[in-house]
Amino acid sequence: NIVVPHATYANVYSSFLYQSRQIHVTGQVTDENGNPLSGVSIRVRGTNTGAITDNNGRFELDAPEGSVLEISFIGYQTQVITLGHENQNLRIQLHAAASQLAQLVVIGYGTQKKADVTGAIATISSDALTVAPAANIQQALQGKAAGLQVETVGTIPGSGAQIRVRGIKSISGSNSPLIVVDGIPYDGNLNDIDINNIASISVLKDASATAIYGSRASNGVILITTMRGKEGPAHVSYDGYYGIGKPEFYYPVFNGQEYAALRNISPWTGGYMPQELQMLAAGKETNWQKLIYQTSHKTNHDLTISGGGNGTSYSYGGGFYNETTLIPGVSYTRYSIRATVDSKIGKRFHVGLSSLNALGLTKGAQFVAGGAMYPILALSPLMPAYDSSGNILREPSGNTIDKDFYYNPLYLKYNQNWVDQQRRLRTFNSLFAQYDFTPWLNYRFNLGLNYDQEEDDQFQGADQLTNPDYFRPGQGNTAYVNNSSEYGYTAENLLNINKTFQKHTFNFTGLYSIQEYHSHNTSVRKDSITSDFVQFYNLNLSNPTPYPVLGGGEVSWALISYMGRLNYSYADKYLLTVTERVDGSSRLAPGHKWHAYTAVGLGWNINSESFLRNARFIDQLKLRATYGQTSNQAINPYQSLGLVSQSGYYNFGPTIVKGYNVVTLPNPNLNWEYTKQLNIGLDYSFLNARINGSLEYYHEHTYNILYAVSLPVTSGVPGSYTTNIGTMQNWGMEWNISTQNIHSPGNGFNWTTDLNLFFNRNKLLSLGSGFTRDIANQLFPGYSMTSIYDYKKVGIWQLDQAKEAAQYGSVPGQIHLADLNHDGIIDPNNDREIIGNEDAKLQGGMTNTFTYKGFDLSFFVYARFGGLLVSQIHQSLADYLVNLDGRRNGIKVDYWTPTNPTNWFPEPTAQWSPVSSAWTTLGYYDATYVKLKSINLGYTFSHTFLSRFNIQSVRLYLTMDNVAILFSPYYKQTGIDPAGTTYGNGGVSNPGNIRTGVGDNSTITINATVPPTRSYLLGLNINF
Amino acid sequence: CSKKLEEHPHTVFTVAYLQTPEGIQSALYSLYTGLQYQFGPEGAVAIETYGTDEFTMGDQPRIGATDHTLGDYTLDATNGAILTPWNRIYPNINMANGIIEWAPKTGLDQNTVTSIIAQARFLRGLYYLLLVKQFGAVPIDLGSGPFKFNQNPFQGFNRLPQDSVLRADYQGMIDDFTYAAQNLPDQRPAGAFYPDKAAAYTKLAEVYLLRGFNDSLKQPNDFQNAFNAAMTVINNTSRFGTSLLQDYGQVNAPGNDYNPEIIFAAERVPGNYTADNVSNPSGIGGTAGSDACNDFQPDYTSIPCNGITGNGTKLANTRSILYGRPIRRFCPTAWLFNTLFADKVNDSRFDNSFRMMWLATNSSTTSPGTIAGDTAFMLAESMQAFNDSLATGRFIDNHDGSAYTAYNNSVSGKPWTLISPAAFYVIGGTLKYNIYPALKKYDDLNKTNANFPSTRPFPIIKLSETYLLAAEAAYQMGDKNTAANLLNVLRMRAAYRPGLSPAQLSARQAAMMITPAQVNEDFILDERARELCGESKRWSDLARRHDENGVNELLKRIPAFNPDGANIKPYMVLRPIPQSQLDASSAIPKSDISKYQNPGW
Repeated sequence: NIVVPHATYANVYSSFLYQSRQIHVTGQVTDENGNPLSGVSIRVRGTNTGAITDNNGRFELDAPEGSVLEISFIGYQTQVITLGHENQNLRIQLHAAASQLAQLVVIGYGTQKKADVTGAIATISSDALTVAPAANIQQALQGKAAGLQVETVGTIPGSGAQIRVRGIKSISGSNSPLIVVDGIPYDGNLNDIDINNIASISVLKDASATAIYGSRASNGVILITTMRGKEGPAHVSYDGYYGIGKPEFYYPVFNGQEYAALRNISPWTGGYMPQELQMLAAGKETNWQKLIYQTSHKTNHDLTISGGGNGTSYSYGGGFYNETTLIPGVSYTRYSIRATVDSKIGKRFHVGLSSLNALGLTKGAQFVAGGAMYPILALSPLMPAYDSSGNILREPSGNTIDKDFYYNPLYLKYNQNWVDQQRRLRTFNSLFAQYDFTPWLNYRFNLGLNYDQEEDDQFQGADQLTNPDYFRPGQGNTAYVNNSSEYGYTAENLLNINKTFQKHTFNFTGLYSIQEYHSHNTSVRKDSITSDFVQFYNLNLSNPTPYPVLGGGEVSWALISYMGRLNYSYADKYLLTVTERVDGSSRLAPGHKWHAYTAVGLGWNINSESFLRNARFIDQLKLRATYGQTSNQAINPYQSLGLVSQSGYYNFGPTIVKGYNVVTLPNPNLNWEYTKQLNIGLDYSFLNARINGSLEYYHEHTYNILYAVSLPVTSGVPGSYTTNIGTMQNWGMEWNISTQNIHSPGNGFNWTTDLNLFFNRNKLLSLGSGFTRDIANQLFPGYSMTSIYDYKKVGIWQLDQAKEAAQYGSVPGQIHLADLNHDGIIDPNNDREIIGNEDAKLQGGMTNTFTYKGFDLSFFVYARFGGLLVSQIHQSLADYLVNLDGRRNGIKVDYWTPTNPTNWFPEPTAQWSPVSSAWTTLGYYDATYVKLKSINLGYTFSHTFLSRFNIQSVRLYLTMDNVAILFSPYYKQTGIDPAGTTYGNGGVSNPGNIRTGVGDNSTITINATVPPTRSYLLGLNINF
Repeated sequence: CSKKLEEHPHTVFTVAYLQTPEGIQSALYSLYTGLQYQFGPEGAVAIETYGTDEFTMGDQPRIGATDHTLGDYTLDATNGAILTPWNRIYPNINMANGIIEWAPKTGLDQNTVTSIIAQARFLRGLYYLLLVKQFGAVPIDLGSGPFKFNQNPFQGFNRLPQDSVLRADYQGMIDDFTYAAQNLPDQRPAGAFYPDKAAAYTKLAEVYLLRGFNDSLKQPNDFQNAFNAAMTVINNTSRFGTSLLQDYGQVNAPGNDYNPEIIFAAERVPGNYTADNVSNPSGIGGTAGSDACNDFQPDYTSIPCNGITGNGTKLANTRSILYGRPIRRFCPTAWLFNTLFADKVNDSRFDNSFRMMWLATNSSTTSPGTIAGDTAFMLAESMQAFNDSLATGRFIDNHDGSAYTAYNNSVSGKPWTLISPAAFYVIGGTLKYNIYPALKKYDDLNKTNANFPSTRPFPIIKLSETYLLAAEAAYQMGDKNTAANLLNVLRMRAAYRPGLSPAQLSARQAAMMITPAQVNEDFILDERARELCGESKRWSDLARRHDENGVNELLKRIPAFNPDGANIKPYMVLRPIPQSQLDASSAIPKSDISKYQNPGW
């Protein structure tokens, strides 16, 4: 028993004054389940007398009769007991606090009380994820956690997003975080995970939290925990919604009159088609977007049954998700089935199984990628969509050049010629067995088995007069099949020790694990299939020539790891975490395969200090500091070996041969890149958790950066060369706060706000000795990785500047570029500079939730401030949508004419500038935006009403997403959503200053794609 | 468990593979694949065709934002077409360096080793010649030493000092072609284009000749060596299996690709675009497809026929395999039409190079009786021919008062149109109708779609050029007699047309004959244009030569013969080093990078 020994002055004073009788109190404190709680603070109100419970939850103290005891413990609601006049033996049961403090946080290889955590970890509950229905985890995560940046890329169903934890650390390696599902690393597609199955997500951000994942951890770790059953009667839960979507916006294109006005002053000499003249005379026009876009649909059904008894719990269920978009024929469908079983065998043995299975079907992704958007936006608004008999006009181009290339996109609505589908079956299984030697020592074995099979099928039918093929005008049919499979296993041996000696609590986790992964694919493309109805099903039913084109590949890798972690806490006040991990990877060159990673974390629960005892409004105040090393394993297998690839076929008359040449240089010294990270954090919770959150500061130093150098072509090697070179730093701050602004118990009015704000500052420090710039790779030491290096557009040369313009070989109406060195010529070696970067200065998300009686209303705002965006839509030779050449229609921009002195776009003439690449400068805009992403209104039926039907709860909800762009200079100027749509150059000509070809490290750009949908969903959630 | 960390790839070839007996053969094949990018694709044709005295821009480049810059000499260092040789050739040169280094160590027998090295050196010489003709000095040291296989991640650019690098470039080419001439087989197979002695000697002649024109590099015997190399071929045609065809019209005719006059060509797998590195055959440029078949085609689809305007009367409205995609890049200059080919009768080469008549490709609803295959329209060979036709009184109408008029075909009785030279695009000074004589040397009847590129072999070396080089070398040595004799061989052959009686033929041959006194450098260049018109040689033919007074031929002829090229400046006889190269040369300080650019750019 720990009794606070010293009688304080106050105690003495009060005794003296009132001479009240001291009574002796003993007791035991337990949690809701009757388990003893140690370390609980018992305090006599108004005094400094108190006690702390021992390992058995027991305490004893002396206190004046009639005094009030406060029993408080982090994570539990504080209880108050008024003493009577007799000696007392109390049994106190604490209830978990509404606050997050008691929450068990999922950390790497285990869980930890939030109060004990030293690392920077953001957690997202299942409620937060599913508050607005989303197709996949990426969408659901956007704006939900500080330091977690989710940028959408693409608007078609099933399209992904770029996830970054605390910015970019690698140039050529992946910058995507490691995903771990139920403890097993997950290398698959995130679309395969049904977000309704997720119990919680933890984002591990700093080195202390991530170092136990060692070589895979430098980009952060996202831990996904799926739902499991609880013992009890069978519980049935259904969640479903259905909704429709409309375009969030229409791309602004010139209307008929505007197009004619442009065409008349443009360099176009081809004149009008007869139909255009008729339409013009009749004052008619065609709105191609309105004709093609259709209402999109979104459906989700999810059913889970869970329960258990006698030491076994289970959950199983299934889900169905389907989404279509505005372009006909494009859809994503997912069927999922899952099951978990957890059993306790005897007293010491636990086993459990979890199986997640998903069948995903993506259709028509190429309808968009294959160029449907271009003609929709570029077709002449003066051409009719239908001929005089009401049939689809086959070739509605407003010029003779395109006639044979762009059929009427309305054929998409009646598509019978093009099949494009991807079908993927993934089964992700994990099994564990745990043996408790003693209450404080256990051994656990985790086994993960993952298999995934994907088949991609494409077929484009022959173009026929009666059955035109929109995508293959004038060509025969072609079919493509690609089959790929991936499989891998993870085996982990874990030893856990959890021991408390008086105020000393130790937690040790030891690990030995091995992971292996294999993948293999085979593809065939074949032209001249005998008949269209065969499609891709039997490629042998085809003409012998042309020959099929075959493809294939294989990748294998393995990772072996040893890890030890010690968590120590003293009196719940002082926390220490030490982690050591040793990784061996197959990907590295011999001699460089092994590396050890160390991290240290310190924590201080200041609120447990005696000097804050009286600050009762403080629930928690914790200062954390961590430092450690992680690395990035994202080197493609075999990369240290160099690479020879085929250069294609050649023939000497009838003899066909195949050539091979060197495309990648070997690097026998290839090593990983390492990141050292310092994190300082503060967790706070005030007023019974009505205000809580955390503040983080971090600094990351990355060195040995993996860098795929694209060499000058005169080096003789066309591909890039992966090496370790250079250093980079990131630092930033993250703040999140959750507040209960208005809190009325019961069914009163409640208002809560969750806000997170964060920024990251990236700087490339060096690129090895002597390099001051690497323009070809868009790398500039001293600047951010996302820097944009180009000429600077001043505006458009105006009439009164004709004389100055002439010095640069320009005339009014052309693009006015800045002459940075004032030498009277614009040249690429002296007049390009870094004109900005794509980094947000500040970004974050805010969710406000209001509840009143059965109603709940929430809305989610996402914002990013600062930085530039690259709009290839406005780069004439990238997307060909602002060429202003009169040949085709395009995005409506304000162009210069002698009577319209705009500074946005030049005069529609053949030459926009004597500098042939000046057009790229038309594509940079302020990336700031604030978006109201979703509004969600729900009603939960009262329990009394439902109990008649044996229903526990029913919630009905309405959701609207992509509600409004509240602020965006880009949107204001152009009418186009400021969110990115693709990686790297998505257009025809590569502007050259866009980092491209490095996967999702490529610059995010805005290209013409299906507009995002604004969907209206009606959903139902029932629990039996 | 550590064994699990060893890599055993199944699908990855390493450089070591290329050093095996099979691997080195595959490496050699990759050098041939590279030819497909340099001969036939739009960029490759464009840099030798735009801005010459032969051709200027068709209507499409004129409205594009950057396509016109080669044609009107407004290009800068970011021009895309100049990247065709720059970006594609060095990997082939590096691979050739490797092959030449490794072949003796593969364990292959000596004859095979020699054959492999001879092919690699021939192709390396050919690749260097393409670069040198466009850019001047180009690196021979890619990062591991002169003519060495480079495996270092080299971010420098070994181009300085330019004159000594250029000297080494020329010497390298001479050494390569000399080795190839000594070690390649005498003859290529009848139905395939392997390089042979005739190919190597012709290229050797060209390199010596061009060095002879370079005043700072020339050696005393350059023209003699050029003459000797060319004459070795001309004097040994039967040993080398090459000969001039009787009919010029057959040299570039579709279906006659492997004829003995064509010494070497870049081949493509017939009709198999994917195999030919053409991912999208409907696209133009950027890949290895031979776009040349479409690039010279005017917009025949937009020509209203029978003088009737309005829809449904354009008889060639539907694109056909023969006429191809009217991509309208290259249009003959007025000089070519009026001056170079002033004689279109005795000299068959104009008619054999250009299409002047188009047949209907669809049936007309408003022109009764005309069906696909009937004559749709024809270009008059001269104003005189046009006026003569009018004088016969067979015309029906002259609807719009322009110079383009319809009249009856007296044979079929169906109406068709004769278009006056005054209405030709550029040639007639008008840009109204996009019609002009269409180069037909690259016609490909085996295409599966009118819009597709061609898979015909693209000629690189023809025996007729060997004659031209020999004649030029002789002239430069002062031997006008020999020069005239050699030129007359080609000119007499050009008089031939099938169906001429012996008397007609000899009359025409007599008219074609020239005397030694007529020979000078400009005459030889004119003769090259007549013989090799549109064959992707012209720009560098002019840029690398000067006349008897030392005036650069490009700078002399462009202002005189091609009004679109009026902006040409003296420094434009070399192309700019692509900005992407300078940007990627990160090892060079920013303050020095301008020195690596060609002067003036």
